[in-house]
Amino acid sequence: MSRIGVFTCHCGENIGATVDCAKVAEMCKHVPGVAHSVDYKYMCSDPGQRMMQEAIKEHNLDGVVVAACSPRMHEPTFRRAVSNAGVNPYMCEMANLREHCSWVHEKNDATTQKAADLIRVLVEKIKHNTPLYPIKVPVTKTAMVVGGGVAGIQVALDIANGGHKVILVEKSPSIGGHMSQLSETFPTLDCSQCILTPRMVEAAQHPNITLMTYSEVEKVDGFIGNFKVTVRKKARKLDEKLCTGCGLCIQKCPNKKISDEFNEGLGTRTAIYVPFPQAVPNRPVIDTLNCTFYKTGKCKVCEKVCPTNAIRFEQEDELVTIDIGAIVLATGFKLMKTEAFPEYGYGKHKDIIDGMQFERLASASGPTAGVMKRPSDGKEPETVVFIACSGSRDRSKGVPYCSKVCCMYTAKHAMLYKHKVHSGKAYVFYMDIRAAGKDYDEFVRRAIEEDDVKYIRGRVSKIYEEDGKLIVKGADTLMGGEPVEIKADMVVLATAVQSNDRSEELAQTLHVSYDTYGFFAEAHPKLRPVETNTGGIFLAGACQAPRDIPESVAQASAAASKVLGLFSQDQLTREPIVAVVNRQAGPTYSYCVGCFLCQTACPYQAIEQEQILARNGEVIKTIARINPGLCQGCGTCVATCRTKAIDLQGFSNEQLYAEIMTL
Amino acid sequence: MEALKQKAKELLQKGDVKAVLGYAVGTGNVRRPHFARTPEQVDRLVLDEKCTQNLATYLTKHEVKHLGKVAVVALPATQRALLQLVAERQLRDDAICLLAMDGTEVKVLPSGAAVEQHLALKTDAMPTADKAMIEKLMAMTREQRWAYWQQELSRCVKCYACRNSCPMCYCEHCTMDCNRPQWVPVASHALGNLEYHMVRAMHLAGRCVECGECGRACPVGIPVHLLTFFAEESTAKQFGQRAGHSTKLDYALSTFKPDDKETFIR
Ligand SMILES: Cc1cc2nc3c(=O)[nH]c(=O)nc-3n(C[C@H](O)[C@H](O)[C@H](O)COP(=O)(O)OP(=O)(O)OC[C@H]3O[C@@H](n4cnc5c(N)ncnc54)[C@H](O)[C@@H]3O)c2cc1C
Ligand code: SF4
Ligand code: SF4
Ligand code: SF4
Ligand code: SF4
Repeated sequence: MSRIGVFTCHCGENIGATVDCAKVAEMCKHVPGVAHSVDYKYMCSDPGQRMMQEAIKEHNLDGVVVAACSPRMHEPTFRRAVSNAGVNPYMCEMANLREHCSWVHEKNDATTQKAADLIRVLVEKIKHNTPLYPIKVPVTKTAMVVGGGVAGIQVALDIANGGHKVILVEKSPSIGGHMSQLSETFPTLDCSQCILTPRMVEAAQHPNITLMTYSEVEKVDGFIGNFKVTVRKKARKLDEKLCTGCGLCIQKCPNKKISDEFNEGLGTRTAIYVPFPQAVPNRPVIDTLNCTFYKTGKCKVCEKVCPTNAIRFEQEDELVTIDIGAIVLATGFKLMKTEAFPEYGYGKHKDIIDGMQFERLASASGPTAGVMKRPSDGKEPETVVFIACSGSRDRSKGVPYCSKVCCMYTAKHAMLYKHKVHSGKAYVFYMDIRAAGKDYDEFVRRAIEEDDVKYIRGRVSKIYEEDGKLIVKGADTLMGGEPVEIKADMVVLATAVQSNDRSEELAQTLHVSYDTYGFFAEAHPKLRPVETNTGGIFLAGACQAPRDIPESVAQASAAASKVLGLFSQDQLTREPIVAVVNRQAGPTYSYCVGCFLCQTACPYQAIEQEQILARNGEVIKTIARINPGLCQGCGTCVATCRTKAIDLQGFSNEQLYAEIMTL
Repeated sequence: MEALKQKAKELLQKGDVKAVLGYAVGTGNVRRPHFARTPEQVDRLVLDEKCTQNLATYLTKHEVKHLGKVAVVALPATQRALLQLVAERQLRDDAICLLAMDGTEVKVLPSGAAVEQHLALKTDAMPTADKAMIEKLMAMTREQRWAYWQQELSRCVKCYACRNSCPMCYCEHCTMDCNRPQWVPVASHALGNLEYHMVRAMHLAGRCVECGECGRACPVGIPVHLLTFFAEESTAKQFGQRAGHSTKLDYALSTFKPDDKETFIR
């Protein structure tokens, strides 16, 4: 006969005001198997816990039901208390009288009865509980950072400075991300490259950081502390060790008219190229889609001119598998293209550009060396219109959310333009100005007040070309919706910030959740903003939501501190809530028939094959085995198995059946 | 027929197989399964339109496995069942030896790949009567359909002939036999019957090879095969995956594909 103790908590007024806790305690005394039942104002408080521990000793209890708040809140607290009193922690269960009862019902007898029922169910469960023991797993103290933008670089540096190895995986040929493309940065107008490139170099030279550029994550197995990550190193068609980065090949490549991604299509590059002069690492790659040799089988000029014979046309992609303890995702964002806007001519006007293109026009290292020239004819634009919220906060055609950085960079753009073209006119169409941040509102005011940028509150309905001018038609809602028409030479659309291409695919590879828009989801929007729902995988920067640089960097350091916390332990303790495959005596040996339909169902690749051998070594049966280190206790396999060969420890079929049947 | 017997004898004489499983005439002129272990026993084999049973069911039984390699006279449904059994690792690919009719010619299919190829040549649509019946049921209102099945299933005596005749119901310890805890009651009352048939349909969704054996096996004539047929067809429609077409496991209910329609969620 079990000796179960029931401890009903008032949670102050939270439960006590709605549920008659004293009555519940009294009712529970009569449930078979219950040896002791009391109620108390705050069970989680020190006296509450002590009362519980004394009762365990006094009444020789072998199981405990704490009827209180959510187990998410205090299960660890009470399990620890029970364990300190000498009872296995997994013999303690929590009935959630708060979220499941008092908060969702009125004060009446039925509510009190329900509270008692919730407890009764768990008393029956505990009768089928068995003591469980925590699982210990080792921690590999190497982190992987995916994405080498400013966020990824910061994470890598922080972890590396904390004394641990970091592998920084970047899909493009250089680290740096969007920040390396920016001209100057709000709210201080300091030069983006000048503050970023030293960091890039520091990351490349740090003894604890290994850069894997032009590489992508292909596959992730394992679990917190013990991931196995397969990275595809795309072929640069170059021996990186021999190459000295002299750039002769780039100078001589005959194929010079390829649209340049780094300059957002405003400049050209060669087929063998480095994305920008300050690229890290300063090693070229061959763009095989555009290289004459890969298209026609002839050329190889770069091979001929290379002084160190570093070119390798035959080089293939390489797959490397690395043991990793924690992963930080910092894959950033992409910008909606001007092609997305029918009312602005589907991107066919060369002088309607997006914000990133403007950054390149304004950048000293850009295609115009920072001189304001419009793309169509290279003339200096005399009137420029900036349109904020292009696609953002637009439920019907764009994305419903605010892209957050556009108000600020639009003010920056207008200012930069005015600094470069003193006689020029700058207009900004906006919906609201969202400039919350240190020195942010001051920055926008400066654009309006000191640099004479004309802010017009309203939407632009149409842009069309007439006599070499772009006619911008809109309305000024502060003037009662009065129509406005501006003859502009160039229009800059602050297009929406979106989740990166293939981010959903990456999320699926890593088994992390993502929102409707493809941004990675944090474990808790307030309390766990840099963690994902998958243990050991963290988030930094604009891959989670639109972010500016200060926020991205702050979050990067937060993620790094989480990783360092994880790496401060040599072993992780895991909950023994894992699945087990039934075993028994022959001739059946196990209910498992070895169909392995469960294997594909397991989201954590925890199911392996096990052979049952006869004494002479002959295989009698091949059945499923669950690796307790990998199993996360989700129970998917339990539901998949037709023969009920799998049970989840702590939530076995018998336990659940007993719970249901008491009701 | 003679060609079939000829091939069967050859296989036995060469020692390629230990037995040939086919059909023979039973009492009352029915067709029953027949294991021919000697060339003489081969002479009793028949193959005509009365032979309908899915013989794949026997291959997973211990007794048959102990016989050694068995050649099977295989109708298209038997072939599909075999592929699915290989996919679910209940049979080894090298244990396969099928005798399939191709017009009047006998083909020996010695591997899963050969069966796949042979089946790909054939289109074996669901029998028209079954198709019509499913359409009729689907044209009913939910309530009418519910009433129809309650009525039908109330006649079930829980003999489990439908389960035992099914090639895909090979589990040694069926959920229905599970008594710790006893999720599904054993007695054949309305609720227990309904639970049994719902569980059976779910367990065969994405796995049923549409042989119709379960329906034929039922002694009280309940068309239980319509339940699994429909479950299989819905799975195929939702996820583009079908049982019995490949030796590679492709089980819709335990896999996820980025292009899954997921219409059932929304
Ligand atoms: C026009 C414009 C102007 C801006 N101006 C300012 C400003 O003045 N001040 C300011 O504070 N902020 C500004 N921002 C915002 C700023 O760009 C972002 O805050 C910052 O770039 C976010 O950094 P990140 O590292 O999170 O992402 P990113 O900079 O996008 O870097 C992500 C990196 O990850 C890589 N990557 C992506 N997917 C993968 C993958 N699957 N595997 C490996 N690597 C991958 C990418 O190649 C990239 O290098 C501006 C933004 C825009 C659009
Ligand atoms: S545990 Fe169940 S689903 Fe998994 S292989 Fe065994 S019988 Fe199949
Ligand atoms: S409970 Fe089953 S499906 Fe879930 S992680 Fe564990 S083994 Fe995998
Ligand atoms: S459920 Fe019926 S139709 Fe489907 S494979 Fe089994 S016996 Fe054949
Ligand atoms: S064969 Fe018919 S009677 Fe027997 S269990 Fe199946 S449905 Fe019921």
